[in-house]
Amino acid sequence: MDVTINQSEGKSLVVLNGRIDTTNADQFLNDINPLMQPEAGDIDMDCSNMDYTSSQGLRMFLMLQKAVSSRKNKLVLRNMKPQVKEVFDITGFSNIITIE
Amino acid sequence: MKKLFDPIKDKSSEIIEWLMASPDMPSDDGLLFKIRLSIEEAVENVVRYAYETGNGWMEVSTDLNHDTFELTIELRDAGTPFNPLDRPDPDITLAAEDRPIGGLGIFLCKQLMDDIAYRYENGCNILTMKKNINID
Repeated sequence: MDVTINQSEGKSLVVLNGRIDTTNADQFLNDINPLMQPEAGDIDMDCSNMDYTSSQGLRMFLMLQKAVSSRKNKLVLRNMKPQVKEVFDITGFSNIITIE
Repeated sequence: MKKLFDPIKDKSSEIIEWLMASPDMPSDDGLLFKIRLSIEEAVENVVRYAYETGNGWMEVSTDLNHDTFELTIELRDAGTPFNPLDRPDPDITLAAEDRPIGGLGIFLCKQLMDDIAYRYENGCNILTMKKNINID
């Protein structure tokens, strides 16, 4: 999983590329650590090239959502592939994370 | 097809890839996605939690019924007796602030496979997952 983060004017534009699975979930958490910080602001995440996430990845998205909510910012995940979206749907994550 | 992995510590990927390479697997990408995710969650559970020392064995198998197109995946270990299906399903209606982190792995298996069953037999945990792979 490649995570590209561009921060400017109190916003973070993020592009995800690849898979989040058992082999790299810890690395992914490390990569998104800057987004956990208050100065990351609102987060706009392009998920069009995210191919897969296991429950490990879902945990990270929930942790990120909690961090963003607690600082009163917004997290939006965009252009998610249907198969990945289904994982967010059946776990109820589509109700707690904004997916557009 | 059946294979014994011993020891299994840090071998999740190897076990998952062996199962996914089975000739019993379907070719449909959507089905493969669901099966891989279910296998990953189930295998991870055993590798991480079954053995207190982290070291032990796991036997995995795939079987395809060519009449019904039902794929069966079985995981067997001799770790601490544990029925993962006993765990209550997460409340997926809770707000983000109230959702606990975790507890989603086996829930995903239940949702993505057609059937999942656990039994304890001869000192072994046996988890069986079934999926109909006939896409017609």
